[in-house]
Amino acid sequence: MERRSFLKGIGALPALGVLGASSVTLLAKESKPKGKNAISFKKALEVITHGKGAKESDKVHLVVPEIAENGAVVPVKVNVELPIEQVKSIHILSTKNSNARCADVFLTPRNGKAYFATRIKLGGTQEVVAVAVLKDGSAIMAKKPVKVTIGGCG
Amino acid sequence: MAKRKSIIKIKPRKYKVGDIVKVDFIVIHPMETGMRKDKKTGKIKPMHYINEVKFYFNDELFTTIIPWETVSTNPYFSINMKVTGPGVIKVVYKDNLGEVNEKSKKVKPKG
Repeated sequence: MERRSFLKGIGALPALGVLGASSVTLLAKESKPKGKNAISFKKALEVITHGKGAKESDKVHLVVPEIAENGAVVPVKVNVELPIEQVKSIHILSTKNSNARCADVFLTPRNGKAYFATRIKLGGTQEVVAVAVLKDGSAIMAKKPVKVTIGGCG
Repeated sequence: MAKRKSIIKIKPRKYKVGDIVKVDFIVIHPMETGMRKDKKTGKIKPMHYINEVKFYFNDELFTTIIPWETVSTNPYFSINMKVTGPGVIKVVYKDNLGEVNEKSKKVKPKG
């Protein structure tokens, strides 16, 4: 009897250990250190549009790769098909990065066309969002998912 | 103050007055997120990123870009500009540690 219970005990130990370890890693993931500028996507969109929200529109052309092999360098191109006098600013956001904001661009009529291109980092598979704020205060946006095979943040 | 390398490119290379050209700007900068660990020392590398880029044409501000640390290492920004005559494009960029640098390029429209 003793031997049997002892063996059982041994069998149970590693299982417990694994459970313990996995729960520890889960906790660690939740309490991962966040940057000073950490802001969620919802909050960032609220700040940009002053709580009005943005409508999806086909006038914003967002060009991103469908699959990004390296999340550290993801090219993003935004074109807004509206006269430059109507466009005030362009914002690039991501839905799951710890800091959802990527870049804010403030334009003037000298730009000629509402166009912006840059390269951003993505921590994992998520959506990239381009928001254009117009002179009358309303906002339009476009969304596209990007598959990331190797994360680039953290 | 550390001097940083930066490049301004105007595309296409030949343009006339009234054309809309692309202005590409690239800086050599680490853009640290403040979340990565140094593999040798095990310490977290402090945040270091460009937080303001301003484009001037003949000392008239025409575009402001506010990048965050989520922009890639050696950031690249591309915008459009309408050429109204000869002049100078000046780009002033700052980072969160207080470094201020600038770069300029002449605009010479032909025809």
